[in-house]
Amino acid sequence: MALYAGVIYPATLGWCLVLLVVGVATLVQVRLHRILEWVVTGMWIVTGIQAIAIVVLLLSGNDAGIVLTLGYLLATIAVLPLLGIGRLGAPDAAAADPDPNRPVLQPDQIARVDAGAAVIIAITAAVLAWRIAIILGAA
Amino acid sequence: MNPIGRILLIVAYAVLGLAATGRSVVQITTKLDQAPLPYLVSGASALLYVVIAVALWRGWRRVAIVGTALELAGVLIVGTLGYVAPELWPDETVWTGYGSAYGWVPLALPVIALVVLLRGRSSADAVAGGVVSAGGDESSSDA
Repeated sequence: MALYAGVIYPATLGWCLVLLVVGVATLVQVRLHRILEWVVTGMWIVTGIQAIAIVVLLLSGNDAGIVLTLGYLLATIAVLPLLGIGRLGAPDAAAADPDPNRPVLQPDQIARVDAGAAVIIAITAAVLAWRIAIILGAA
Repeated sequence: MNPIGRILLIVAYAVLGLAATGRSVVQITTKLDQAPLPYLVSGASALLYVVIAVALWRGWRRVAIVGTALELAGVLIVGTLGYVAPELWPDETVWTGYGSAYGWVPLALPVIALVVLLRGRSSADAVAGGVVSAGGDESSSDA
């Protein structure tokens, strides 16, 4: 619990803040999209570490409600694929879809979509991490 | 419709739909008898968010407009009833306090979505009107 409360939970919140800041910066300056992609990769890693830590805590006899904790954990993982959703609007991806309503995005639009999604997911992931920490008694 | 606005709305509605679905499933399956109205309203709002997200993704503009209008009405009605008739609400819903537990996103999102959707529709109407007008001019000049 000390490792989760002292390192993993603060690191998760910290990475959410980085994702938020880089997302906002990319909205302003689309050239930062490359950095945003690295931060998104980091978000997957941080979430993976967080998930492992939570599962270990639950298996080691934490009093937290398993259903609620796993529900929030699954939600945390479920929102991650929305990071980088701009790739679905790339011309080659859109061309493979027969749906005529599928948007086709230019590179700068893809960057802005990814940046906006990063801002939304950063806030969501931080709230979910905070809720899990409360349930586990770490916050 | 602006593709960036459309996709970001899909993301926002997907996240809100996930949050509301999780909340309502827990409420309805574990304690529906304690506060049936709030929990069923939570379930309805979750369903609405998912429908709007799908409608935006599939390009069903009319469904999206009706859905977001219903959502806005729901937030305003439930939010107001929470203050006017608090005895009706033994527990909170997603829309309680105009969505204050969710950072007022449930109130702001349908307003933003309606602006994006209706602006997109008026732009499309203007383009269609321009085409008709241009066609009419062309035919009249031909005549």
